[in-house]
Amino acid sequence: MRSKTSYFNATLFLKNLARFWPLWGGASFIGALFPLAMLSELLRRGKVMIAETALEMTNGYYSVLCGVVPIVCLLYAVLCALAVWSYLYNARSVGLTHILPIRREGLFVTNFLSGYAMVLIPFAVTGALCVLITAAFGLFEPAGVLVTILGVLGESFFYFSSATLAAFITGNVFAMPALYLLLHFLEAILDLLLSNFATGFIFGFSTDYTGFLEFLSPTVYLIRNVNSVSEYRPVSDYAGMYTRQELVSVHLENPWVIALYALAGAALLAFAFALYRRRQSERAGDVVAVGWMRPFFRYGLAGLAALLGGQLIYSLFWDDRYFKVVPLAVCMLVAGVIGYYAASMLLAKTLRVFRGSWRGLVLVAAGIVVVCGCLRLDLFRAADRVPEINQVQKVELYVDSNTYVFYPGEEDELLERVRALHAAIAADRDYIQAFDREARTAELDIAAPIHSYYATFTYTTRGGQTVRRSYQLPLTRERLGQSGTYDNLLDSLINSQEMRLKRLHASGDGYKPTGGSIYFNKRGEGCELSDREAAAILEAVTRDAQAGRWGHVDWLSTKAWNSGTYALQLSLEFSRESDQGWDWIDIAVRPEMTATTACLLELGLARNEDLVTQGELYPEEYEDAAYPAPAAEVVYPDTAFHAAVVTGVVG
Amino acid sequence: MIEVNGAIKRFDGFTALDGASVTVPAGSVYGLVGPNGAGKSTLIRCLTGIYRTDGGTVEIGGEDVWENAALKARVGVIPDDWYYFSQSTIRDMCRFYRGFYPNFSMERYEKLKEVFGIDERRAIRRLSKGMQKQAAFWLVLSCMPDYLILDEPVDGLDPVMRRQVWSLVMGDVSQRGTTVLVSSHNLRELEDVCDHVGIMDHGKVLLERSLAQLQDNMVKLQVVFQDGMAEVPEDLPVLHASKIGRIHTLIMRMNAQEATERLTAYHPLLVDAVPLTLEEIFIYELGGADYAVKDIVL
Repeated sequence: MRSKTSYFNATLFLKNLARFWPLWGGASFIGALFPLAMLSELLRRGKVMIAETALEMTNGYYSVLCGVVPIVCLLYAVLCALAVWSYLYNARSVGLTHILPIRREGLFVTNFLSGYAMVLIPFAVTGALCVLITAAFGLFEPAGVLVTILGVLGESFFYFSSATLAAFITGNVFAMPALYLLLHFLEAILDLLLSNFATGFIFGFSTDYTGFLEFLSPTVYLIRNVNSVSEYRPVSDYAGMYTRQELVSVHLENPWVIALYALAGAALLAFAFALYRRRQSERAGDVVAVGWMRPFFRYGLAGLAALLGGQLIYSLFWDDRYFKVVPLAVCMLVAGVIGYYAASMLLAKTLRVFRGSWRGLVLVAAGIVVVCGCLRLDLFRAADRVPEINQVQKVELYVDSNTYVFYPGEEDELLERVRALHAAIAADRDYIQAFDREARTAELDIAAPIHSYYATFTYTTRGGQTVRRSYQLPLTRERLGQSGTYDNLLDSLINSQEMRLKRLHASGDGYKPTGGSIYFNKRGEGCELSDREAAAILEAVTRDAQAGRWGHVDWLSTKAWNSGTYALQLSLEFSRESDQGWDWIDIAVRPEMTATTACLLELGLARNEDLVTQGELYPEEYEDAAYPAPAAEVVYPDTAFHAAVVTGVVG
Repeated sequence: MIEVNGAIKRFDGFTALDGASVTVPAGSVYGLVGPNGAGKSTLIRCLTGIYRTDGGTVEIGGEDVWENAALKARVGVIPDDWYYFSQSTIRDMCRFYRGFYPNFSMERYEKLKEVFGIDERRAIRRLSKGMQKQAAFWLVLSCMPDYLILDEPVDGLDPVMRRQVWSLVMGDVSQRGTTVLVSSHNLRELEDVCDHVGIMDHGKVLLERSLAQLQDNMVKLQVVFQDGMAEVPEDLPVLHASKIGRIHTLIMRMNAQEATERLTAYHPLLVDAVPLTLEEIFIYELGGADYAVKDIVL
């Protein structure tokens, strides 16, 4: 007669809790310190330093739920899983457990529940103390506490389920946490590695991280997408003398993400149980305990090693922005072979894995050749891709330390000019890459007056994806005057009246000046600007811009141009209410900017003696600068970049 | 009754059990013997539900063992490397076993406490190897099992405690009809307690018989031939022959009467049939199965 299936064994449950009490006891103790510290603070200083209202307390709970709980769960859940599933990793313990008169279902459910209880106990202790303390001080808000509890339950369930799955895939106490962490960050690691890899192949490709499948990196996704959103309103105190921000509402942004992860946790748990039913006890001690996953581990590790190790080895010998295919493939092959044999040794638990391994090596080599070949040939034409206007919701152009934002439907003519510039750059690929190579190997003809600038095009598609291309563009006087070249297109675009006004947020994009600062080099003093002063200065600069006295970018004469600017640093700050946007601009003030100069004098910010040029104040630094004659020296990319940053957003 | 039929178990291409078949009659004590690596422990792990066989059937009392909790509650197991929780005392393990085995008898536990005389509050890991083995017997016998499966059970026990333990086991067999399967290399001891024996090699059970049948199937003869006959006649089916002075010692696979009759044809001066020990049967049976006897003798 078969036994009736029992899904729970109280003895085993209590035994687990009793055996591993230092784990959950220690975590509970550490967790309890925080509410106790809060109590101490409340007793010593009152509610001011913690939260004055229950809503502020809820905001605090949500912040912990969004920023702290995922990381705590990530680390603590794996320890609890290691504790309750450790019997699987030792032949003796797995023997005892599977001799016991209890089915796999019962073992699985009981061990899972005891492990999950160990995860939750510290949260329960910490949360209960928090609730008691806040209730005693009138800061208790049941809805916020309930949401927080549900959030903690969902996140901890997901993390513990994923740790349980990792426990059943592996058969080794060291492999389990390694696999768990790898699985949790594999997508992010691969994204970074592949993006960096593609950057070295595809002209202009400059994405460090796409986040395309970020939901597969749960901790990253949770922290970036589940947020505490607070709304404040200004409240006047002391008869209007002082204005403070009062919290009027707080809610959790994207709480459904936690619910989805909890559901995913249930699926992982079901998968883990399926693995347990088929698991062979004799796999105790193996790195990978599931037979059909062993090739994935072997070739996965080889692939990761090839990607990471290959690029590292390559970078030791070459520093090109774009990879040389054959040397890179050799580096990847070396790293891939090491990864392949390392995985084979871990799987076989012996160093003797070389005999008969040539088939695996051929597969690794073939994979590397295919990947390098596809990227080198740019099969998807990524280098030439310039999205159409109707495909994008936003385009950003970064050049000369300025970021310009364009929206289809509002500035289609400017957008087309940006696209045309991008297309011209893509078409001049060979010329730009040759410059890049020569610049890196210092083989440039120093007689040629070449300056270079970084330009980045960022397209946000209607689907929410980001297409980013970045280029280091050499500019020459000859090409600047040659119609149709990207040099000419860039110059005409950036120096257009619309772009000048765009730089000043004077084209009706919703940004308002909120303040800024000014500093005079001669007297060594400066001050902060109020919003009204900033608005007045901005208006004056705009008048100068409209009159053609501000905003012209001279691409080739940086030093000479600087010599003629006033020795002062003027910076304005902007903000936009609609999206909480913030921006700033550094304005180089020149003698011909009569409206701006007059405004500064009128506001009493500047005195006549402050208005000296850099060349006058620091003659020794600018004695060789002859403006507007073209600069004679070659500016290498790094030098040019720093110069652009130092001079700031100037015309 | 414990019955294994054509059990197959492979580990990464290595076949540990290659169609092993074992039949342990109810209420008997069955000794499973075999050289190192023969597959005895693997067979026991299949019998106790640790390993799942790749082929064949493993049944106890007519029921499949795999994932059969009710059946396992009636099976007591002492593996060769008994596991206990590292911080546990015997008392802790007693509570643990009580939670799983419904027939666990506290009365028997208390009685066995006097037999073994070990402090139940001492951490098991602080006990000697022999005392740990005693603790295993203490707990497993308290489960009141109908079936006992023992892998090298008395390894590490002193002679007095060995006898004590066997006495307890045999008491269960005689009083409760417990069926016992025991794997051991100590053949002299098995000879005293087993009524059935199976010999394993290379993942197979080469033969299994009652001890009496086994001893009846092979005979050791001491023979003195007449003058002029220095060697054993070649037509005699001798498994092993040795000679000291004029006395030949012959091992033959047949019963004593038949062997004596065959030798009488050579008019020996003396023929004396001596029963074989289990150890001798083991050595000579495996000698026929390519297991180097001389290695064992050395």
